[in-house]
Amino acid sequence: MSQTRKELLVDPLVDNNPITLQVLGICSALAVTSSLQVAAVMALAVTTVTAFSSFFISMLRNQIPSAIRIIVQMVIIASLVIVVDQILKAYFYDISKTLSVFVGLIITNCIVMGRAEAFAMKNPPVASFIDGIGNGLGYSLILMLVGFIRELFGSGSLFGVTILQTVNNGGWYVPNGLLLLPPSAFFVIGLLIWAFRTWKPEQVEAREFRIQTVEAH
Amino acid sequence: MGMLRDFFDKFEPSFLKGGRYEKYFPLYEMIESLALTPRTVTTVAPHARSFVDMKRIMTYVVISTIPCILMALYNTGYQANGAIMALGPDSATGWRAWLVAKSGLPFDPGNPFSNLFFGALYFLPIYIVTLAIGGIWECLFAVVRGHEVNEGFLVTSMLFVLILPASTPLWQVALGISFGVVLGKEVFGGTGKNFLNPALVGRAFLYFAYPANMSGDTVWTPVDGFSGATALGITAAEGPQALANHGISWWDAFFGLIQGSLGETSTLACLLGLVFLLATRIANWRLIVGCLGGMIGFSLLLNLIGSDTNPMFAMPWYWHLVLGGYAFGLVFMVTEPVSASQTNVGRYVYGALIGFMVVMIRVINPAFPEGMMLAILFGNIFAPLIDFFVIKANIARRAKRNA
Amino acid sequence: MPEQEPQGFWARFKALPVDSTPKTIFVAVALCLFCSMVVAMAAVSLRPVQEANKLRDKRINILQVAGLYEPGMDVNEAFTSSFTPKVVDLSTGEYTDAVDVATYDERAATQDLNLSVALTDDPAGIGRRANYETVYLMENPDGSLDKVILPIHGYGLWSTLWGFIALEANGNDIYGLQFYEHAETPGLGAEVDNPRWRAQWNGKKLRDDEGDLEITVSKAPSPAGPEFHVDALAGATLTSRGVDNLVRYWMGEDGFGPYLARLREGDA
Repeated sequence: MSQTRKELLVDPLVDNNPITLQVLGICSALAVTSSLQVAAVMALAVTTVTAFSSFFISMLRNQIPSAIRIIVQMVIIASLVIVVDQILKAYFYDISKTLSVFVGLIITNCIVMGRAEAFAMKNPPVASFIDGIGNGLGYSLILMLVGFIRELFGSGSLFGVTILQTVNNGGWYVPNGLLLLPPSAFFVIGLLIWAFRTWKPEQVEAREFRIQTVEAH
Repeated sequence: MGMLRDFFDKFEPSFLKGGRYEKYFPLYEMIESLALTPRTVTTVAPHARSFVDMKRIMTYVVISTIPCILMALYNTGYQANGAIMALGPDSATGWRAWLVAKSGLPFDPGNPFSNLFFGALYFLPIYIVTLAIGGIWECLFAVVRGHEVNEGFLVTSMLFVLILPASTPLWQVALGISFGVVLGKEVFGGTGKNFLNPALVGRAFLYFAYPANMSGDTVWTPVDGFSGATALGITAAEGPQALANHGISWWDAFFGLIQGSLGETSTLACLLGLVFLLATRIANWRLIVGCLGGMIGFSLLLNLIGSDTNPMFAMPWYWHLVLGGYAFGLVFMVTEPVSASQTNVGRYVYGALIGFMVVMIRVINPAFPEGMMLAILFGNIFAPLIDFFVIKANIARRAKRNA
Repeated sequence: MPEQEPQGFWARFKALPVDSTPKTIFVAVALCLFCSMVVAMAAVSLRPVQEANKLRDKRINILQVAGLYEPGMDVNEAFTSSFTPKVVDLSTGEYTDAVDVATYDERAATQDLNLSVALTDDPAGIGRRANYETVYLMENPDGSLDKVILPIHGYGLWSTLWGFIALEANGNDIYGLQFYEHAETPGLGAEVDNPRWRAQWNGKKLRDDEGDLEITVSKAPSPAGPEFHVDALAGATLTSRGVDNLVRYWMGEDGFGPYLARLREGDA
């Protein structure tokens, strides 16, 4: 195995983050990050699904016929997602109401499929499981950062606890309504990618095209 | 003049390569080129020489906004004085009203000096904040990236101020221009590489972030307790014929004595700017023709279709022209060369798309009474695509001809 | 020793390459069977908890609009001890046993041609209206009627707002109004959830002495008087208009009008 288990777990946090480097799983990152609590549950759900789907797919990897490989992966992921959705509905009813359709959409989350196809099909179950956890945590990290910014400045609270008393409730803070709208996550994620690549310049992609300049001679 | 040159020459070496303040060359260059004509000349091919360099273009655009600025000062004061007159002298609160009272001017919309002075007290703080905060960002990026601060920023900041409501809180002005400069322009590489109009990006940010301060009935006239819908708001609720009941004639709207953002109410002032921009050939007339055509065509079509429930369907094109930000956007934003289409056919299409979208948003979208800002941003996004298809069609045509 | 041919069906099957057709079919079928079993088990075993959650959520909303809700309380206990659900026939305004109160679902009923009517005059923008609605009666300790909670819904700017309105026993004084489901613009229309705005409804009246429906949500003060007027939400003209329309619709003759008339006369 080329990577140690620790690397599998830590690498996707910053150096190979599924959102900021691979730019996967953006859809749900836009939709569920207007409050931290919802983002946290979503992060947990995606981490669980990624870890277990990688685990099961890796267990079966030598038995999966290549012709129906993708469908088999989909069936496993979809089953896990439905189970997670049912559990949320049963034990976290309020949050599952806010997450609504997005739990179901974990099925189409590229991170889950991506790890299954790229890692779990070639590696043993435990390593795949850890890889799934690592990528789920990388996703979670970004989700929580975006959720932190959006909830704090969009509604003046964190985890529903008021931090900045808003004007409508008699305080001083004028909440930024844009941050409560899904497109704002584009800006926040874009700025995060900018910050990550300033910190780790090796993440910057090579230019496809360089504008020609003419030097005076 | 010579003295100034000597002054700059004395400091120049320490900013050049190898000098002590090499890093701050962009700042030096900004101040130098603001004061004097730059001495750099084109030395390598192709030798396309023109008096009209970027600096000249940007200066011309700022000059062309002067009628709008004057109208912004006058109309803001006119609306504020009118509101105070209607509500009684007790409503004249705040330091601006205090200054007006101290200076001995009456709160009378019939007094042009009072209007101009009162208006300036609203306009100047917003403009100064815009220049200061936007300028800080510009200098920061210029120093870090090693490019020059250029005059495009003066245009952006002027346009940004002119499309804000007079009552905008100054901290929101600062946030808006920061967003416009950084995310509308600098992330894409600075002036000339922005595919969106930075002033509109800043305005759109504020519009979605703080809708209560950017839309509604209380923001246009900066007097506490005064509430009045914009002409477009009235039309959306009651139909264009209701405007007369609110004392708004077409000529009021044309001259700009109606409620609206600082500098966009007067179609006349915008047209004066347009004449200047067309005469200096900075604005491309094809964009104007396209945008007028799209707006007139689609509003005529909607007039024809008609609607029982939506009075905006009946709004004639000449009202669309004078209300809201249409004229201002048409003259100063549709014509912006960087974010518009670059091909001649593309310019007609680009203009028409914006003209069509603005009527579409105004008439058919229930949430936004005004649509010019969103229509132009929409057009900006499509501009490269339009060019792509125009060029492809051209290549195909030539290939056929020479086959 | 020559390699032995695998003996028996199972052994021969196991020796097939993974990509062979029989194995492909086998894996597909086995996986589908297994997964469907897991999913079905999860769904069936968790359903009672989920149903209880749904019911609890609705009850919390009703308790909230009646001003009884406190975090951490025993919702089901508080609900059953305070409220009696009854089904009202909207056209007559009388209680009815035509449907079972425990299972009746208004939202499902609007899809059922036998249980709902298509609206021609539809200010609330709801399309079809159920014939029966469940109302919740809150009684005083002595058994007299204290408040009634009525379900209301209608279209705002982007979405249908679903909520409850609580009225005093006289069927005319508003105690509270609350929406539990909507997707209006955050910061503008979504301020329908703001407790400060909602507090305005307390003490307003639906009808004046002549019996005309006067309650209105608007920017300008109502000519009928302040007790019939709720301030519109700042910057949310269309959501406010939606709330105005839906309250007036449900409180009017096509909605709970006949029922409210009976309440006013005290014979409901």
